[in-house]
Amino acid sequence: MIIMGKQKLNILPVPTYNWLGVNYAERDISEYETAAEVISAAENEEKTCLFWVDDNAASEVSIQASENSYVKLVQVFDVKGQAVSKVSAELADNGRFELVQLYLGGDVVSEIDVKLDGRKSKFDASIGYKLGDSDKLDLNLIADHKGRKTESVIAVKGVLDGDAVKTFKGTIDFKNGAVGAKGAEQEEVLLLSEQAVNKTVPLILCAEEDVEGSHGASIGRVDEKHIFYMQSRGIPEEKITELMAQSKIAQVVNKIDNEQTVKRILGRLGRGDDNE
Amino acid sequence: MKEKTQVADIDRSLYDFRYEENEGDFLDSGITPEIIKAISDEKNDPDWMREFRLKSLEIYSRTKMVNWGPSIEGLDVDNIVTYIRQKNRMNTDWNNVPDDIKETFEKLGIPQAERESLAGVGAQYDSELVYHNVRREVAESGVIYTDLESAIHDPKYAEIIKSHFMKLVPPTDHKFAALHGAVWSGGSFVYVPKNVHLDIPLQSYFRLNAKGAGQFEHTLIILEEGAYLHFIEGCSAPKYYEAGLHAGCVELYVGKGATLRYSTIENWSKNMYNLNTKRALVQENGRIEWVSGSFGSHVSYLYPMSILNGRGARAEFTGITFAGEGQNLDTGAKIIHNAPETSSYMNTKSISKSGGISTFRSAVVVKENAVGSKSAVNCESLMLDRISRSDTVPVMDIRTKHCDVGHEAKIGRISDEAVFYLTSRGLSEEEAKAMIVRGFADNVSKELPLEYAVEMNNLIGLEMKGSIG
Repeated sequence: MIIMGKQKLNILPVPTYNWLGVNYAERDISEYETAAEVISAAENEEKTCLFWVDDNAASEVSIQASENSYVKLVQVFDVKGQAVSKVSAELADNGRFELVQLYLGGDVVSEIDVKLDGRKSKFDASIGYKLGDSDKLDLNLIADHKGRKTESVIAVKGVLDGDAVKTFKGTIDFKNGAVGAKGAEQEEVLLLSEQAVNKTVPLILCAEEDVEGSHGASIGRVDEKHIFYMQSRGIPEEKITELMAQSKIAQVVNKIDNEQTVKRILGRLGRGDDNE
Repeated sequence: MKEKTQVADIDRSLYDFRYEENEGDFLDSGITPEIIKAISDEKNDPDWMREFRLKSLEIYSRTKMVNWGPSIEGLDVDNIVTYIRQKNRMNTDWNNVPDDIKETFEKLGIPQAERESLAGVGAQYDSELVYHNVRREVAESGVIYTDLESAIHDPKYAEIIKSHFMKLVPPTDHKFAALHGAVWSGGSFVYVPKNVHLDIPLQSYFRLNAKGAGQFEHTLIILEEGAYLHFIEGCSAPKYYEAGLHAGCVELYVGKGATLRYSTIENWSKNMYNLNTKRALVQENGRIEWVSGSFGSHVSYLYPMSILNGRGARAEFTGITFAGEGQNLDTGAKIIHNAPETSSYMNTKSISKSGGISTFRSAVVVKENAVGSKSAVNCESLMLDRISRSDTVPVMDIRTKHCDVGHEAKIGRISDEAVFYLTSRGLSEEEAKAMIVRGFADNVSKELPLEYAVEMNNLIGLEMKGSIG
């Protein structure tokens, strides 16, 4: 349910030092256009849904993945103003949920809450962002492992330019009983401007012995080795940075099967003639 | 059935002895202006310190408790005795230290360590330092190692202390920093002059003997340009049922090109709330190396902060946390890159067993001006059973593009493959598992001073049970 008015969103599951300003995001969504979608996949069913999110939207997508079902959700946030989004999912035994999200601008608060309740359920997230000017993104992803042998793979890649401010909070929560669960989370951030601000908060919470969890983050400029390699092949430095930035987004765009959407994204990125 | 590795609880028999205190030695429990004034009278504080204490008390009263981290509900500060008077003044001759206190420290091996491997020793018993001594050759090199209270009254150091005391950790930092500012007592003052290298370490040992008491020692260390110091801090207390409180404060000023290694082994008993604040300010090409072992306490909040304030400054943090039954240890580090070409490296390990909770909490902040800075964080957690808990809560706040920041964390159990590999090479399963746990802690334990490394190995004494198959 979407609650109106000023409220705390994207609450970090385990709060930390207040001075870092990552414990929550506050927004008043009274003026927003609201939309709620429910996607239910029956046993053995496969479903793919695609949403293009515009300005001043408060959207909520709830996913129910039954036994052996597969749901793929693609969301492209092409926002100039503000947007608030929530994706929640419940996965039954062997249920699979693949999430592809692309953030192309605006001021977005986005939460993803996935409950891996069923045995061997699997969550796969590929998230990309290309933010510049005064864009803001507060992203709070929680993968709740309750079922045995559940698995989550979270890959976040992005580029920050201009005065963009991005906070990515990614939590892998192994609850007691999630025997044999695995969770891996990785974020790669490329910073292109002096003013951009990047906050990365990768949590692992663990109340079970027999689990494997890992997270990694790499933040900064283009690796000097990459620059050297490409320069030695005659590519100028500005072009190298551009190429690296494009490749970060391309890895997420490649997960989108819909040709029209891909064209629209590339057009939006000023690469309309790109035949990727 | 899977084999379980049984890691024995830390043997505390070495620490769990205590001596009775006389009722008359205590100031009333709680925190009121009268008690603060009584502490000032007791210590004959200069006027600025009297005012500082009262001002801190004001800040304490209006500051809220932290709204994150482990619960400290079991701690009733109004029932904590903040100051315990010692019958004797501080000594520089071990023979003059009162017998019960002498025996305490002898059991803990302090005088023996001084004879064998230390340049100087300070020993604090409850609220006051009871013994302080430095080797003659160390004193002759211009190094000052004394108790903070004598230094405040010494005209040679009074100014330097006034200009540094609680400037890095102001009482407004958090509620317990304010409490510390109001009731602090004891602790050491170290000053290492320009280009003086101390090859052997200095050590302070803090012992809280009294029941339901707090210890609030203040450590102030100043290293001038090009100086080197290794400072070791050890803490312990016997077990009581009443909650005890340790709210110490450590302020380290590392000058240009100077290096300070600060090692701590914290082994408070499991009724203690360890709410300690440590901070270092590092100038150009200076270096701070923290080595931190957290084994004791009921609840710990401990995150040494390094502020890299000069070009090329460097911070290293190596930590190990072992949380057993009834313990909730929230530990980690904070690093602020506030100058170009600064670098930081954090490497931590935590082990949880028997329902213990360990949390690794960190912050790496790279400011706009920290162009060309590098930071790497690596934390690993090992869960030894399924009733314990281990959380990792790191934050990176990056505000320049000219930097490289890396972070890696892993959590897991003893790998069956590793056990299989070792057993295929002729080790028994018990030996294999023991070796893996020791290996897990190894790159931290080898950074510890030798006697502490041995102690830690004993702490992680392994007991295997169950049959193969």
